[in-house]
Amino acid sequence: MSVYAPQLETGSPPTSKRGRRSSPWTWRWRDRLVLACAWTAGLGLCAIAAAIVLYMGYRGIEYLRPGLLFTRPAIGQSQSQTGGILDPLIGTALLTLIGIGLAFPLAVACAVWIAEYGRPSWLARVVESSIEIVAGTPDIVLALFGLSIFQLGLFAPLSFRAEGGGVYGRSFVAAGAMMSLIALPPLFAATRDGLQAVPEHMREAAFALGKTRIATIRRVLLGSVRSNIATGVTLGVSRIIGDTAIVLLLLGETLHIETQGPVPVVDLLRGTGSTLTSYVYDNSPAGEGAAPQKAYAAAFVLLVFVLGLNLLVERIGRSRPAPSPLTGR
Amino acid sequence: MSRLRDPWPDHRAERLLGAVSLLVGACVIAMIVFVGVRAWPIFEHNGLSWLGPGGNLETQIANMQATSVNPPASAYHLNAWPLVYGTLLTTSIAIVLGTVIAVLSSIFIVELAPARLRKLAIPVIRLLASVPSVVYGLIGVLVLVPFVGNHLVTASEKNSVQNFVELTGAGLGVVVVILTVMITPIMIALICEALMAAPASWREGAVALGLNPLRAVLAVTLRAIRPAIAAAAVLAAARALGEAVMIQMVSGGSSYTPNFSHGALIFFYEPLRTLASAIVDYHEGLGAPALRATLYAFGALLLFSAFVLSIAGYLIKLPLRRYQVRG
Amino acid sequence: MNRNRRLTRLRSLALAGASAGVLGVAAAPTTALATPTISISGATASYPLVSLLAAKYVKLKPHSVKFKITQGGAQIGINDVASSRVSIGDVSRDPLPSDPKGLVFYPVAKYGICVVTSSANTLSNLTPAQVVSIFTGKTRNWSQVPGATASGTIDLISRTSVAGVLTSFQTLLLEGKKVTEPLAHERPSEGLLRTEVETDPNAIGFLSNYQAGLGKLNTVAYNGETCNRATVQAGQYAGIARFYEVTRGPAQGFVASFISWITKSAAARKIISSQWVPVT
Repeated sequence: MSVYAPQLETGSPPTSKRGRRSSPWTWRWRDRLVLACAWTAGLGLCAIAAAIVLYMGYRGIEYLRPGLLFTRPAIGQSQSQTGGILDPLIGTALLTLIGIGLAFPLAVACAVWIAEYGRPSWLARVVESSIEIVAGTPDIVLALFGLSIFQLGLFAPLSFRAEGGGVYGRSFVAAGAMMSLIALPPLFAATRDGLQAVPEHMREAAFALGKTRIATIRRVLLGSVRSNIATGVTLGVSRIIGDTAIVLLLLGETLHIETQGPVPVVDLLRGTGSTLTSYVYDNSPAGEGAAPQKAYAAAFVLLVFVLGLNLLVERIGRSRPAPSPLTGR
Repeated sequence: MSRLRDPWPDHRAERLLGAVSLLVGACVIAMIVFVGVRAWPIFEHNGLSWLGPGGNLETQIANMQATSVNPPASAYHLNAWPLVYGTLLTTSIAIVLGTVIAVLSSIFIVELAPARLRKLAIPVIRLLASVPSVVYGLIGVLVLVPFVGNHLVTASEKNSVQNFVELTGAGLGVVVVILTVMITPIMIALICEALMAAPASWREGAVALGLNPLRAVLAVTLRAIRPAIAAAAVLAAARALGEAVMIQMVSGGSSYTPNFSHGALIFFYEPLRTLASAIVDYHEGLGAPALRATLYAFGALLLFSAFVLSIAGYLIKLPLRRYQVRG
Repeated sequence: MNRNRRLTRLRSLALAGASAGVLGVAAAPTTALATPTISISGATASYPLVSLLAAKYVKLKPHSVKFKITQGGAQIGINDVASSRVSIGDVSRDPLPSDPKGLVFYPVAKYGICVVTSSANTLSNLTPAQVVSIFTGKTRNWSQVPGATASGTIDLISRTSVAGVLTSFQTLLLEGKKVTEPLAHERPSEGLLRTEVETDPNAIGFLSNYQAGLGKLNTVAYNGETCNRATVQAGQYAGIARFYEVTRGPAQGFVASFISWITKSAAARKIISSQWVPVT
């Protein structure tokens, strides 16, 4: 046993083949109780996760017909008349695009600046703390913030101005902007950690070849943190898809996607709609909810997306090969 | 020739990237300013007493909704204690339960589980952490609430509080159960990391002195990572505070303060409302100025609490560096 | 070198031009070329009626207006129209002295407020005194209500304070008293109230006659008068209230055309007469 030679390795329990491991039957009852509780807690959590997945799967297969994915929702009295979930699906995709589209350049630029430049240092600390604050802010507060901004007269073109001059303040752009704030912290953290993990000798080699710092970043570093960025984007997308509060307050909650006017793309962004999350909420007994079947179907689709993104994150993490000592890549 | 395609000199790039970062920082400051300015009327009229008890909250909010144009100063009167109480109650119970379960589960995952089960546990934890809150709320309102309402709440219990409140199954118990399940994965991730990074030699020394392996972990490693456990609890508290949609779906939506003197079991059946779920409940009434100031005041309080908790978590994690425990 | 610089300059000019174009188009206010939008918000009780009327109006006069209808409760409708967030407010109660000045109420239909219980509870009639006593929380058990087939605590289901139906109910059937709170379980819309009463055998609530006729509910007679469209039309039922369309100042332009179509045209009258009663 390594009592005399101190080790700093990360621990696995002592599995020395010399000497017997003490059997739990010889322990005090207090320790046996803790052992039982620990096993219960661990297995219990696995059981809860399995129960959630299996139950949602059972309900989803029961209520989700493939046709629902391509039918538009409708107002109806009974559940067979309320149509499908096409508009919420499109709404989710659109919001994700806008959110990631806004968050990606901001997050990567911030991460690059903090990791590579970071002068003056007080500003770097301020920026890092603000991103931490955003990460810790509840999404309902971000939704309130979004409402307060987009109901200003300045931003009236980004939504809808009512007859008497009141700005509606709810549109895809408004919700997408706040979604980008949701996706920013994971993307920023992943990129910054990746950049900080790139060994110094790669930068030094690039400088020795005469490249400027920004050229090194563009050509060398960003390529080597591709998988970190991919992980960050996937985490951000997963957070955007699962968010409800911002959608409830900032997307206008109309059943169909309603464009604001005739112009093709721009008036879609100014329009209102719904997403999978607000559809689930509206059809549950907490919303207008006479349609728990549709709520289950949409929730199943949502869960499938989230699980798929989880698998993607794991696949990206596993496929990242260990950096070779020569190239560092 | 390469300089032709990289026309950006370093200082220009640095300034641009710095400006973008400053923009992000400015967004956050803008958030604090905007929410604070919109919330100011409530603070101006009530001071801090709007956090305390007094008056009937439902009447006050109805009054706010009824005075939509140029509301008189009396419309801004607010005593939101039921909401503050509901938030404190749900968060603290969920944190206590969650910490216990998270510590036990982390010990299980790191020390006790056979290797195959350990490899299964990590995706399970990540799954629990990434389920959207509206799905938790859906399962709560369609499965747990009817179960509690129809099978757990007895008629005699309903009768005993019939002059105070209606027990429908949606209430404190269901909220706490689901909230615990939501925040435990966050804590497990942090505590597992800390357990694995704690020096193994300490535990091995304890085993050499005659402790059984589990007691060695409990006596030595757990005490060493106490700051990590505290940081995990603080982080989870920030998450629990801000949970709005799930709680709105399963809490019964009544501004009632659960009363422990009705009996311990009935206490958990009683409905309640938290600050965050109140914002979701009343968000359609944002057109009335007094109600808007109220909801922003709730948001300002949540923002402030999350801010304080983040700082606390950061400060707690500082001494962890001493033990080379990555927080 | 000159060529590269020229290309870069052209590229940035094109990008600037494109973004200016996009922003310009986005900033252009809804011109007369686009169809104007009538935004409506308010009572959940009149939402089915107003949706049907709007759909018929669009079918009869295509491309003249678009509608954006939301719900939230009569008080929300009043607040929204008073602060000009919407063009029309749906209101299901009579004007109150506390309403903001300058609002114009146009009555469009009459409806009845029915007391409802779950279909398992075949209570047939309630006197006014009984209704007051139940909804103000004095009677708490079904055993104290003769004729009720439910047993146990009475589950009161009511509406949130923004509901016009609640105000009308309290004025017309509750002799001006208020529904007790926090005992009553407040639901934010008629549909949700109906769902709750349907699924809880001990529940009692109040709905507009249209919603009461929709689900599997037991409608309780008030003072011997059943609550349905016929008795509302005949004026015999006690709980008759009105739906109003409210505008800020007298209605003008396409809003005025829509409201006068509702109150005057035969097609609108036919829609109103299907489940409600026209205001003659």
